[in-house]
Amino acid sequence: MRIANKTITATRLVKDALDKAHEFKDYNIFTFLNEEGALKKAAEIDAKIAAGEKVGKLAGVPFAIKDNFLAPFGETTASAHILEGFNSPITATAVAKLLAEDAILIGRTNLDAFAHGSSTENSYFGPTLNSHDRERVAGGSSGGSAVAVALDIVEFATGTDTGGSIRQPASFNDVYGLKPTYGCISRYGVVAMASSTDCIGFFTKSLEDMDLLMSIASGKDSKDLTTLDDYYNNSEVAKAEKVGIIKDFDNDSVAPEIRAALKSKCELLKSKGYEIIELEMPALKYALAAYYIIVPAEITSNLSRYDGVRYGFRSDKSTGLNELYANTRDEGFMPENKRRIMIGNFVLSSGFYDAYFLKAAKVRTLIIKEYEEAFSKCDFLLTPVAPNPAFKLGEKANDPVAMYLEDMMSVSLNLAGVPGLAIPAGKTASGLPIGLQLVGPRRSDKDLIEFAKVLKEDK
Amino acid sequence: MKYYPTIGIECHVQLCTKTKLFSEVDNDARGKEPNSCVSPVDYALPGMLPRLNKEAVRFCILAGKAMNCEINEFSRFDRKHYFYPDSPKGYQITQFYQPIIGPGYVELPSGIKVRINHAHLEGDAGKLTHFDTYSLVDLNRVDTPLIEIVSEPDIHSSKDAHDYCKELWRLMCYAGVTYGDLYNGNMRFDVNVSIAPEGSAELGTRAEVKNLNSFRSVERAVEYEISRQSKILDKGGRVIQETLGWNDATGVTTGQRSKEEAKDYRYMPEPDLPPIHLSFEFIKTEAAKLPLMPKDYREKFGGTIKEDILEILLDYPPLMLKLEQLEQSLLGHASARPVCLRQFASQGASVTGEPRSSSIVTSGRSQKALLLVANLFASVLLAEEKSAEYLNDLPTAAQLNDLAEMNEKKELSSTATKEVFLKMFDPQMKGKDAKTIAKELGVIQENDLGALEAIVDTVLAKPETQKAQEDFRNGEEKVIGFLVGQVMKESHGKANPSAVQEILRKKLSN
Amino acid sequence: MEVERETIMHLADLSNFSVSNTECESLKQDLGEILNYISQLDEIDVSDVEPTYQVFEMENVWRDDEILPQEATREELLALTKEQKDNQIKVPKVL
Repeated sequence: MRIANKTITATRLVKDALDKAHEFKDYNIFTFLNEEGALKKAAEIDAKIAAGEKVGKLAGVPFAIKDNFLAPFGETTASAHILEGFNSPITATAVAKLLAEDAILIGRTNLDAFAHGSSTENSYFGPTLNSHDRERVAGGSSGGSAVAVALDIVEFATGTDTGGSIRQPASFNDVYGLKPTYGCISRYGVVAMASSTDCIGFFTKSLEDMDLLMSIASGKDSKDLTTLDDYYNNSEVAKAEKVGIIKDFDNDSVAPEIRAALKSKCELLKSKGYEIIELEMPALKYALAAYYIIVPAEITSNLSRYDGVRYGFRSDKSTGLNELYANTRDEGFMPENKRRIMIGNFVLSSGFYDAYFLKAAKVRTLIIKEYEEAFSKCDFLLTPVAPNPAFKLGEKANDPVAMYLEDMMSVSLNLAGVPGLAIPAGKTASGLPIGLQLVGPRRSDKDLIEFAKVLKEDK
Repeated sequence: MKYYPTIGIECHVQLCTKTKLFSEVDNDARGKEPNSCVSPVDYALPGMLPRLNKEAVRFCILAGKAMNCEINEFSRFDRKHYFYPDSPKGYQITQFYQPIIGPGYVELPSGIKVRINHAHLEGDAGKLTHFDTYSLVDLNRVDTPLIEIVSEPDIHSSKDAHDYCKELWRLMCYAGVTYGDLYNGNMRFDVNVSIAPEGSAELGTRAEVKNLNSFRSVERAVEYEISRQSKILDKGGRVIQETLGWNDATGVTTGQRSKEEAKDYRYMPEPDLPPIHLSFEFIKTEAAKLPLMPKDYREKFGGTIKEDILEILLDYPPLMLKLEQLEQSLLGHASARPVCLRQFASQGASVTGEPRSSSIVTSGRSQKALLLVANLFASVLLAEEKSAEYLNDLPTAAQLNDLAEMNEKKELSSTATKEVFLKMFDPQMKGKDAKTIAKELGVIQENDLGALEAIVDTVLAKPETQKAQEDFRNGEEKVIGFLVGQVMKESHGKANPSAVQEILRKKLSN
Repeated sequence: MEVERETIMHLADLSNFSVSNTECESLKQDLGEILNYISQLDEIDVSDVEPTYQVFEMENVWRDDEILPQEATREELLALTKEQKDNQIKVPKVL
């Protein structure tokens, strides 16, 4: 990362970033640009450096945050109407750690409202365009962050990954995207989607940057009881020998060019002396169904607090309290939000809990076991991130299930809590980015980043 | 027809932890500004996560032990969903599937045992104040830790319902887990009442009276429900299962028209809180910290203090604590069990730092002393105006011990003893020892024989006593009383009568 | 899986939405397809499997009972609500 090594000033970096942000305005990447604030901070940092004062590890580095991170920079909206006007007095732990290292916040990026989606089309502010083809979706839900990095507007951007929301847009835009082990980075101050699968992660252009950001952002947080000890900075990188590929994912449901990309990476690994083994993971077949029971249930619960009473949007055409609730939530949520909330209420409602939620929770156990088994046979798994490259805008907008199928290969990691790193793996004939994901056991985040270097074609 | 009532009670106990269940803000909002004890977590901002208070978990162990309950090795939190402005998250964090406190029982003074089904830890709701066109929301009470104690339907009379609630109150106060301030809603009761014809096998349909906040209202509400339901059944009608409210003024229960029954709370395991796993050792260590319970005091003082007096005193935990301290200072050693009720610490109700009485004495004396002080307290509680106020600032064990000692040594008559005792609560006399107070009141009895003889002599020298002296010498025993009276008069009541009589007899017999 | 209109209305009620008739129709279709998809779990028998609600192996994560300064003041919090009165949040009356 071009950390202020005095070859270039922070002010220059920030100006460039803001200029590009304006240049690519029609991609609809940002929900808020921190122009004055960023330039002011840059000036301060340049002054510090000039005065020879100590500066942070990320001094002067322009970055963006997905608009579901709380921070007192513009409104935190999660791209949802219902959070309109919400100026957070609080800063998310992850963002605070980055700011403490003198990184400079350029703006907030677009997402599917409340991160419900795989295309960033479900945003109250409209869709974000794909960095390589303006006819196509950016992927989602962290579409804005992926494109902001892909188009070189910022050095890195934060994202959240509940079922693929970092990895899939990364693979659609030819950048690295890491979904860390569950509990690696604090969720404090990040608008919750599904508490038991939400992960905070990053988009970067290089693996070195990813490693640096992880070393800064990871670790225990007293404000998030589900954070793990700071294993990332205390783990030795293990020597890898075997890489597994999952038979069940190597079929016609996957685009030929993606299967080809996977093959060529396997060849590369073999040529470098690694052993490739084929694995059967039958339970993964049920991961998506289990995911679309557990996650909507947690969504229903986590979105109950958006009622127009204490913050955000409040419908003014309400005379009584019940109307206030109904109108606010009716006008404030996007259709996909409503679908998921209702599904969640269905699987939790009395009479259906055991048949749906409890059963899904048991299937989740099977999936965890299957991953444990897999990692007893190999060091990492290499799989596609999504069955297809970026699809056309509006192509799946009216077919929720077709949209859900996009998450086929990404959701099982979230159910198991294991880390996954999306890596660029070439392009299709039509020039669309292809991404693969490297999957490891829990707490192997650092190993993933190291091993990904092996997968780079040495040119 | 004659009906047999069956009653089950759910009791909410607000815990007196320093901070709330899930955030580090002041948990005691009594008399504080609206929304002044509210963290971003309680306010349910987006992205806020609960931060469990370990003390609340410890309190559950104490409360559980106080009710002879099993403490579950594994417990977990769940979310209970409903929309209302008093619930900022849109759900209450409670324990639906795996509560922390398991089955147990509470024994009433009458000996009746009421089984506890379980008790769980949960967060309280906020407060709404309704006005004609709008309502105002105060979130101070949001996520104050609560224990909900669920009894089995083992209660069969309004009196037992009353006694059960009162005993629960005592247990929770003595366990030190709540302020027990009923006026401020520290304990609230939901009562399930059903009746069935005497001897019939199955129970009748139950109605639930919610949110009772005094033992008396529990008793009255149960009485009312029994008669209401009896009338219905007598007319051949059927009781409908519903939730009722209680109007203390009119003494009537009324349907709340709420959809409570239909409500589907969609319970879901709480994903933001790791489960609780209590080791046997941890439970043992914490349970050992349970202060003395009413039954311990009954055992301890039952032999010394009359039962009815003791039951009165048991309603005032700080008093029992004071007696405990007094005994300790008398015996000159500290109790094996902790006796500090932290929630009453402000009222000096802590053993630590209590000055010990100089005189280490036999337990025989200590029993007398205890009895004396217990009776003094009881008489104050029964007789004195605003007796409760007397309890805000109790005399120290040392003061009480000295008082007992003076009474013992006949330096104080029983009347004088009570006078001095009452003065001890008088702000002006604060901190002064018994002797000083007695001196100031001038009620110390004259026991110095020399001084007494002098007084006797002056009396015997008086002409108006000559006749009586004659009569006594001629064997008229009873006139001694007259002579003693004269001496007492001469000594302004300070002379010790028995000593006076002795001297008189000696002098008149030669 | 056929979803009844009543089901949609019940779910809308639980969710606190006011659902229009046109919305109801599309929701019937969408939810039907989604429920269809997730119902494939019926294929597997997991009767003897323990459920997983949280993926990490942590327990007893708690804090000490000490009052600490919070990250937002009452004023900052109340400033976020549309209407306040006497330091309280103002809402329309429950009808």
